[in-house]
Amino acid sequence: MADIEKMARMALERADRLGAEYVDFRYEESRYERLDFVDGTPQKVEQSTDRGFGIRVIADGAWGFYSSAFINQREISRAAEMAVAIAKASALINKTRIRLAPKAAARDFYRTPLKVDPFEMTVSQKLDYLRRLDDLVAKADGSISRESFLDFKKTIKFYCDSEGSEIRQELFHSGAGLTVTAIGSGRARASRSFPSNEGLFLSGGWDLIEKEPFADNIPRLCEEARAVLAAPECPSKVCDIVLDGSHLGLVIHESIGHALELDRVLGSERNFSGASFATPDKVGRLKYGSEHINVVCDSAAVTGLGSFGYDDEGVKAVSTPLIVNGILSGYLSSRETAYQASAALSASMVAEGWGNIPLIRMTNTNLMPGQYTLNDLIGGIDDGVYMETSSSWSIDDMRQNFQFGCQFGRLIEGGKLTTIVKNPIYTSDTVDFWNSCDGLGDASLWRIWGTPNCGKGQPGQNARTGQGASPGRFRRIKVGR
Amino acid sequence: MSDVIDLLHKAISKSPAEQTELVREAEEFFLTRFAENVIHQNMGRSDSTIWCRAINGRKIGIARTNELRYDSIIKTILRAHEISLLSPEDAQLTGFRKSPKASPSRGFHESTALCPPAARAEAVGKIVGIAERNALSAAGMYQTSTTSLAVVNSLGTVQEDRVAEARLSLTMTGSEGRAGFAQAFSRDVTRIDVEALAEAACRKAEKTSEPAALSPGKYTVILDPEAVADFLLFLGFLGFAGKGMVSKRSFMADKIGSRIMSELVSVYEDPDDDEMAYMPFDYEGVPRKRVALVENGIARGAVYDNYYASVMSLESTGNALQPGNSFGPYPKAMSMLPGKFPLADLISRANRAIWITHFWYLNYVNPMQTTVTGTTRDGTFLVENGKVTRRLKDMRIQQSMLEAFNNIEAVSVERRVVPKYGALMRVPTLLIKDFNCTAVV
Repeated sequence: MADIEKMARMALERADRLGAEYVDFRYEESRYERLDFVDGTPQKVEQSTDRGFGIRVIADGAWGFYSSAFINQREISRAAEMAVAIAKASALINKTRIRLAPKAAARDFYRTPLKVDPFEMTVSQKLDYLRRLDDLVAKADGSISRESFLDFKKTIKFYCDSEGSEIRQELFHSGAGLTVTAIGSGRARASRSFPSNEGLFLSGGWDLIEKEPFADNIPRLCEEARAVLAAPECPSKVCDIVLDGSHLGLVIHESIGHALELDRVLGSERNFSGASFATPDKVGRLKYGSEHINVVCDSAAVTGLGSFGYDDEGVKAVSTPLIVNGILSGYLSSRETAYQASAALSASMVAEGWGNIPLIRMTNTNLMPGQYTLNDLIGGIDDGVYMETSSSWSIDDMRQNFQFGCQFGRLIEGGKLTTIVKNPIYTSDTVDFWNSCDGLGDASLWRIWGTPNCGKGQPGQNARTGQGASPGRFRRIKVGR
Repeated sequence: MSDVIDLLHKAISKSPAEQTELVREAEEFFLTRFAENVIHQNMGRSDSTIWCRAINGRKIGIARTNELRYDSIIKTILRAHEISLLSPEDAQLTGFRKSPKASPSRGFHESTALCPPAARAEAVGKIVGIAERNALSAAGMYQTSTTSLAVVNSLGTVQEDRVAEARLSLTMTGSEGRAGFAQAFSRDVTRIDVEALAEAACRKAEKTSEPAALSPGKYTVILDPEAVADFLLFLGFLGFAGKGMVSKRSFMADKIGSRIMSELVSVYEDPDDDEMAYMPFDYEGVPRKRVALVENGIARGAVYDNYYASVMSLESTGNALQPGNSFGPYPKAMSMLPGKFPLADLISRANRAIWITHFWYLNYVNPMQTTVTGTTRDGTFLVENGKVTRRLKDMRIQQSMLEAFNNIEAVSVERRVVPKYGALMRVPTLLIKDFNCTAVV
């Protein structure tokens, strides 16, 4: 790492000499491991390593970025030259100069808190874990199809910039998941996944996976998959719904997190990911949701998949209010957009690996818990549907009209869960939906759910995000087709 | 033989595995993004990835690195070898094959590979100028890249080639939610007519009237090639991929030889198509073949890699994806044959129809029925009595794609290449009846 740091400082000097007004350098080295187990057999064991660096500059008032997998002094010097040349090309047509919101320079080290480093365990130990889960499913239901996985990532980062920051980080992500699928006649299938459709994804180590009650939930998952396969279609009607926390996490992600990315709001993503209805003139005025809705963007949340010590602009992790008592209050920002919109820095600039430019990404978008038990939420409904575990999602390019579907549905009649139904879907508008919320589950039901595959940007970048949520109740929602 | 092939050969010769395969993909990638009439992102990247697959008996291991150094490649080979020894036997694994040399790539153009940042900026400048003259705002991206692929295995397969590509997509926006989208793809950047594309997007975003909101219901629709490609990509995944044929999850399983779509539909995997000129071999080094997927509405076949082909007692079609992927083989260069109607005739044939530029956020609602939901975007218009009469508010759709491809009434002569997520599709405009629009967004 000492060599990298020396070359990084050389890159800053080289770009400075070529006329850059601002330079940052980011080195990333990642190790990834994925194990899949399907119907009693390891389907895949994959290990990979990846490393490289990226140099981002402002020259003549415009951005330029160049990255490379070839790590040597000559290539780093060439990359600095390329980044400056690209920035100067950008400046040929730009009429305004980039300005950045100020940040404190930092010299720091951050490591994800963890007890057991997943990369210190052997592949055999991991396969044994998956085999045990698979055996338990087979014992519970010998004819059900079963898939499980483990997923680990370790990233070492070194960041420095022309403002004096030098930051070293070691980040660990651990993931595990289980899906059982009941197979009916023809091509009929019904799947149940645990603990969410994506499984479990957290910042941390193997210890977090061992704590997750996979085994305890296997009999329930098998029974529910069988029941859904034989169940009637979810009825179509306007009614009250209760959504489980894992699914509500996805709704938060799509209709709050993405909608409040300030680059999207200011138009930068208009050609691909779209824009947002939640424009800056609405801050402090838009009633985004009911008084129950309090949302923060928190890159420092313990175990959240989107957590780190510093973002990829060297901004220290922080919790930023987005919605306070239902009122739009803030955004996910970069230094550039924070300056443009006079917004707070939210430490949300994240790049997928060394090869990409950082973008505003969700870190952990957390809807704070309410005061209700699940029985309270369900008990307050005469005629409705309980839905659990995401299966389908789609939202328009302004982040307003959406349609979601779940793996599992159950009618609520007279405050009680009754008939199991298949293919529950619902459609709503972001502001109408969040304003219809009249209750959220309490802190004992709240956790941060991980999404390992959030896409954005051109070229497409994948990000790993967290969403804190407990179950929620929503009134008069259009359910069904 | 190139230095890369020499290096891979040298490393393979040290492998302790019974069979070894090395795949190296390298990329020089440049992309200029613009929005609100300024360049807001501008980047370049030089990357290299090496995959190793090691086979011992009927056990396989996979490892990956991005360091093109002899010692790193050897470490990767040893890791793949060790993983293979820990893995259980796969009774269906038949080992690597020796593939014949593929035809040389027709997809490389120096004009694209050497396109400098200033040329992309100059093109964006032209687009911005056209946007400003039309009181519109331009957003988009201009990409030029070169990809090199080399595959060597211990049975004697040696392939190495490269392709270049240029992509330009842009959205013009104006007041009252007006928007127009256009895109172009070419292996040769000099063939992209930047100004014509910008003018096309402007025409869709022109101020006409206030957008009308149609009631949810079934409508005749005219799908631009970009919207057709949105559907075809999903159909490829659900139906034309060999893994789905093996698992019987494909809508084509047990339907080969049967009518599954309108007789106006013929789709081929056609990597050698003049406009697509895809990399001539796949990630196993197998030369890509032309494959009939649907002919005149009749299901004909799917695409395969070596593994799924051997399970089905077929030959690989040269459609293996990167080693270690969980999707199996996948079509990468689909060509839908043109029809007989010029685009203008397609519009003039419509009594009342919705003209859709493209879709956004399509996702499965019921994959077994090929039902997806999503919304229209960046140019949705009403056609009445054969004429485009007004702009429409975007709509959410929920539609079985197979049903839609059964309800095709006319196919245009004109086609465009549409790139999406690593796949290319050369597709026409379609006129489709009874298309399900479920809400105004």
